[in-house]
Amino acid sequence: MTSSFTRLLVMVQKELLELVRSLKLLWVPLVFVLLGVMQPASMYYMPLILEKAGNITEGAVIEIPQPLGSEVLAQTLQQFGTLGLLVLVLVGMSSVSGERNSGAASLILVKPIAVFSFTASKWTALLLLAWGSLSAGYLASWYYTGLLFGDVQASKVLGSLLVFGLWLSFAMTLTLFFSTLLRSSAAAAFSTLGTAAALSLLAGLLPKKLGWLPGSLSSFAYQTAVSDIANVSLFGWALACTFTLMAAALTGASWLLRRSSAID
Amino acid sequence: MTTLLEVKGLTKTFGAVQAVGGIDFSIHVGRCVALLGPNGAGKTTTIRMIAGLLSQTAGTMRFHGFVKGDYGKGKVHIGYLPQSPSFYNWMSGLEYAVYAGRLCGLPAGTALKRAKELLERVGLSGAAKRRIGSYSGGMKQRLGLAQALVHSPKLLIMDEPVSALDPIGRREVLGLLQELKEETTVLFSTHALHDAEELCDDVIIIRKGQIALQGNIAAIRNEHRKPIIELQLEQDEVSIKWFTDYKDRLSRWSDEAQEASFIQNIEQQGAAVRFTVREVDSARQHLLEVLTREKVKVSRLEIGHTSLEDLFMKVVAP
Repeated sequence: MTSSFTRLLVMVQKELLELVRSLKLLWVPLVFVLLGVMQPASMYYMPLILEKAGNITEGAVIEIPQPLGSEVLAQTLQQFGTLGLLVLVLVGMSSVSGERNSGAASLILVKPIAVFSFTASKWTALLLLAWGSLSAGYLASWYYTGLLFGDVQASKVLGSLLVFGLWLSFAMTLTLFFSTLLRSSAAAAFSTLGTAAALSLLAGLLPKKLGWLPGSLSSFAYQTAVSDIANVSLFGWALACTFTLMAAALTGASWLLRRSSAID
Repeated sequence: MTTLLEVKGLTKTFGAVQAVGGIDFSIHVGRCVALLGPNGAGKTTTIRMIAGLLSQTAGTMRFHGFVKGDYGKGKVHIGYLPQSPSFYNWMSGLEYAVYAGRLCGLPAGTALKRAKELLERVGLSGAAKRRIGSYSGGMKQRLGLAQALVHSPKLLIMDEPVSALDPIGRREVLGLLQELKEETTVLFSTHALHDAEELCDDVIIIRKGQIALQGNIAAIRNEHRKPIIELQLEQDEVSIKWFTDYKDRLSRWSDEAQEASFIQNIEQQGAAVRFTVREVDSARQHLLEVLTREKVKVSRLEIGHTSLEDLFMKVVAP
């Protein structure tokens, strides 16, 4: 048990070293910071931008109500949920399939390690990347929102960060699963984004019926940022469902890899 | 002699195609064994099943006391080098060797020490800190050997270890294997008889997923060795006509003809004619007489033995 745990740690270290060497650990958080800063800044300067745009009739009065800081943060999360998610999925799409296609995986899987450790090490690295980037970007956004719009309670920021982080974790787990299932990275990215979009859409269209889907996590995160979660029991179900699906995806990925590691 | 690996009825089917069809063999401790066969004979599939990368359709394997269910536990004692190993190009050679050692359960310090020793051994210590991405094919193969040996395995399994290399790289790796086989049991696949002859004690020749011949290489050589007489004829009318007639006659009256008692087979390879004979002396006597009588222009006559190559060709011929 301890020795297989040590091997898992060694493999996680390797994954992190790879993230550092490939500079992913640098540029992905930078993208999130940029997204996080852009949102409050563009909201603040929106009236000015519209004024300078030049094609507005002389004398027109533009009145945009100053949004609350918490609303700006919720909008930042929406940015993370689209562009940020895209970046993370693109980074993770070839994590397993790339190594399998090159043959590097078979040289590792032939070692006395559990296939699950292989999957778990990649999962841990992807999750660390996602949480690190999200935290960096969200904190930057919080700081600028505080400067330009007024303070937002730390507890709200933390709460929404945790809920939204879980949504990103779910998406990363899906990426890993599809990267194991499919040989093509592009197909893996497409399937992940498609599934994530479908889940969000379903949860958004039928919030009462399907609010327990992981897809509702992002809207729960916005709710946490702005006010409070309205339907706590539904949120509980969503949490349970997400964790179950993540566990299933991880187990499934390991099973797939164990079954097909030979075909490289 | 203790048996290290025992394979019984090993079979693998991919869909409707049977890649390996029930092979049995065993490998004794300390031997160097070649799995020899033409391309597509099922060598790689067999190797991958033994390495534990592929599960067999049927059959059992016993390795170092580990059987079916916990065969995976035996992996600690196996070192594996695939045909063209790929590593992580962003790692250095040393980092990879250490990583391989740690995955095999060595503590960090030991892994580093062993990795350095082995890189030194395979002649990579100068390039140990360089990125693997910049290595040549031969260097990668040597790194592959180092990472396969880092945990001192009881069995080293290699799939076509020298096939993809240029002559220099091939020499280097063969030289290394020559040393390594003194220390551990080695099983490798190859399609080149030459490599097997150079390195191995035992050979397993497979063809279309079946074992065609196996055993000690020297014993096989002696057992299947047949005397041959090789004639080189000039390409003039008389000589060609004589040979055609002679061959015809022999094939027609093969049983009755007097020659048939000592000549087994005739083969023509360009201008050379090769007689596989049962008895050298009478065949030589007979041939010399005939050749003089018929005024055949012989440019060379040689007495020799069939090589392992001839046997190999005969065994694996489709």
